[in-house]
Amino acid sequence: MATATQTPGIDEARPEQQSCGGRVPILTTHGLTKQFAELRAVDGLDMEVCRGDVFGFLGPNGAGKTTVIRMVLGLIRPTSGFAEVCGHRVPGDLQSALRHVGGFVDDPTFYPLMSARRNLRLLGSMTGTVSEERIDEVLEIAGLSERAESRVGGFSHGMKQRLGIAQALLHSPELIVLDEPTSGLDPRGMKDVRELIRRLGAGGTTVFLSSHLLHEVEQVCTRAVIIDRGKVVVQGPVSQLRPQTDTVKILTDDQPRAAEALRAQLGADAVHEDERYLILRAPEAVVPEMVRRLVVDGLAVRAVVPASEQSLEDFFLELTGNDGDRPAPKKRRAGLARLLPGGRR
Amino acid sequence: MSADHATADVVTAPSAPPARANAHGSTAPRMTGHAWGPLYREWLKLLYQRRSYVIWGGAFVVPFLIALALYLARSGPEGGEGPLFMSQVTSNGMYVALAALSVLLPFLLPMAAAMVAGYMIAGEAELGTLRIILLRPVRRGSMLLAKWVMAMLYLAVGFGLMLVGGLIFGALFFDLKPMVTLSGTTVGVWQGLGLIVLCCLYGLAAMACIVSLALLFSAISDSSLTALIATIVIYIVVQVLIAFSYFDWLAPWVFPHYFLEYTNFFRDPIYWDPILKGLAAFGVWSAGMTFVAYLLFRRKDVLS
Repeated sequence: MATATQTPGIDEARPEQQSCGGRVPILTTHGLTKQFAELRAVDGLDMEVCRGDVFGFLGPNGAGKTTVIRMVLGLIRPTSGFAEVCGHRVPGDLQSALRHVGGFVDDPTFYPLMSARRNLRLLGSMTGTVSEERIDEVLEIAGLSERAESRVGGFSHGMKQRLGIAQALLHSPELIVLDEPTSGLDPRGMKDVRELIRRLGAGGTTVFLSSHLLHEVEQVCTRAVIIDRGKVVVQGPVSQLRPQTDTVKILTDDQPRAAEALRAQLGADAVHEDERYLILRAPEAVVPEMVRRLVVDGLAVRAVVPASEQSLEDFFLELTGNDGDRPAPKKRRAGLARLLPGGRR
Repeated sequence: MSADHATADVVTAPSAPPARANAHGSTAPRMTGHAWGPLYREWLKLLYQRRSYVIWGGAFVVPFLIALALYLARSGPEGGEGPLFMSQVTSNGMYVALAALSVLLPFLLPMAAAMVAGYMIAGEAELGTLRIILLRPVRRGSMLLAKWVMAMLYLAVGFGLMLVGGLIFGALFFDLKPMVTLSGTTVGVWQGLGLIVLCCLYGLAAMACIVSLALLFSAISDSSLTALIATIVIYIVVQVLIAFSYFDWLAPWVFPHYFLEYTNFFRDPIYWDPILKGLAAFGVWSAGMTFVAYLLFRRKDVLS
C-alpha cells in the first residue's frame, strides 16, 4: 500500500478532519473498532457526517465499509468505540437513533410472497404509523407505482434496490444510509438511482452513500471519506479530495533519461517514478521551462498531467494501494466459537 | 416504545428542522406503535409462507386418514396394540382426535414446532430480511418474544385443526358417543370434548419446549435447517436416553419424559399430579431456553 510518505501530495491533500464548520454533525464515529477473531475489520475509525451532506463512504472491497455501517446501525456491536447517530449514542440508545434513520445494508431484501406495498406496510409499521398515501408517494419516488401490487419475489435486482430506497424513505428520516445502492444495476438504473440521491440531498435529507465507484461519489456527493483496511485514509469535501499540490505527472518516450535530466534540474527528491509516469514536485511556473529542456534534450514529451486533474480514481489507488481486488477477509468464526455471541473476545 | 419516550427523542434532537419533523405525519411523536404490532407482523409472515399451510393441512388430514383406515378395516387394532386410544376409535368417533394426538405428538408435532420456530430468526437471516427489519426501532427482545408467541399460536391452530378434523371425521365415520375413561367410568360427549381440549392444550404446552429450543438454535445459527436438525436431534437423543432404565434418574428432569402424561385427563378423577409436574417442567424448560435465546440474540452480530 502506498503511504503518505511514499506518495507525493497526500499530506497536502488531506483536509481537516473536523470540517462541519458551523453545521451540526448528524453521524460521528469515535474510535470505532471491530475485531473478528484474528481480523481487525475496522480500526479506530473517526469520521464525521454533517447534516445536509450527501456523504460518500469510499473504500476498496474488504476495506470494512459494510462493517462500519452495520456497527453504526446497531446490527453488530463494536469491539470498542461508539457512534453518535442523530444525537443518540450507538450502541446504547439504538432504538432512539433508528427512529431517525432509514436505509439498508448489502442488498435490500424483502418477503418474496408479499407485494411491494405489503412489504412497505409491514416494514413501515415497525417504525410507526404509515399512511397509504405515504406508501404511494415513496413508490412513486422509486418509480414502482405500477408494480405496487406485484409480489416482490418476481422483482428484478434493480427494482429491489429501488424498493430498498423506497422503504428507507417511508418515515422521511433525517439520515438515509445506502450501502452500494447502484451495485448490479444497468447504466439506466444507476442513473435513476443517482438522480434520486441527488434529489434527496437537494431536499435537505442527509445521505450516507457507501460505494466503491469513485465517479459515482464525484457525481453525487458533497463530502466523502476514503477508508482502507478499517482506517480513515482521507476525509473532506469531494472537491478537495484530489491532490492540491504542485505535483505533475509526465510521460516521455524515454523515461529513464527524462528522469535523469529532471533530477539534475529539480533535485533528486522531487522526482518519483511509477509504472508509467514520472511524478514531479514542481511549481506550476517551472513546468514550461521543464518541458522545453526535455525537448531540447531530444526527448519527445507525450503527456503532462497536472495532479489536480488526475482522476479521483488514480488518487484512490495511490491512497489505498493497487490491491483493491484482494479477496475479502474471512469474518465468520468457525465451529463451536460461533455459538458464542459476537464480538466478545 | 412509549409515547413519552418518543417525545423526549424529538426534544433531544433540536437540530431537526421543524418542517421535516411533521412531514407525512409519521415522525417520532406518532411512532408509538402498539403491543399487537410485533405479533401481527410475525403472524403475517407466517401466513405468507407456503410451508405453513402444508403443516396445517397435515394436522387436518391425519385424523381423516386414521378414521378412514380404521373404517375400511372395520375393526381397530387389538387392545394394547398401536398408538394410545387407537383401539377405541371404531367404537366411538370421539377417539379419532385423541388417536391423532397420540400419533402426532411424539414426532410430527415436535417436527412442525422445530420447523416453524427454527425458521423464525435463522430463516430471516437466510432470506436477508433480518438485516432490514433490525434497522427498524424494535427491540430484539420483543421481537423474539413475538416470534415465540406466534410460533405457539401457529401450533395452536394446528392443534385446533387436528381436533376439528378428528371430530368431523369421527362423527362421519363412527358417530360421537359418551366416552369411557381409563378408570372405567363414562363421561358425556360435552365433558369428553372438554377433556380432549385439555389434552390438546397439554400437548401444546409440551410443544412450548420444542419451540423455545428451536428458537434458541435459530438465534445462534444463520441456517434454519441447522436449527431444525439440532432441535430434532436433541429431542431424539433425549427420548432414546430416557427409554433405557439406566437413565431413569435423568427422566424426571427432561421435558420429553412428560409428553404423554395427558392421558391422566382420562382418569376419573383426573390424576393431576403428573400433569402439573409436566406443566411445571415445560414451563421451566421453555422459559429457561427462551431466556438463553434472548441473551444470545440480544448481542448477536448480524452478519447475514
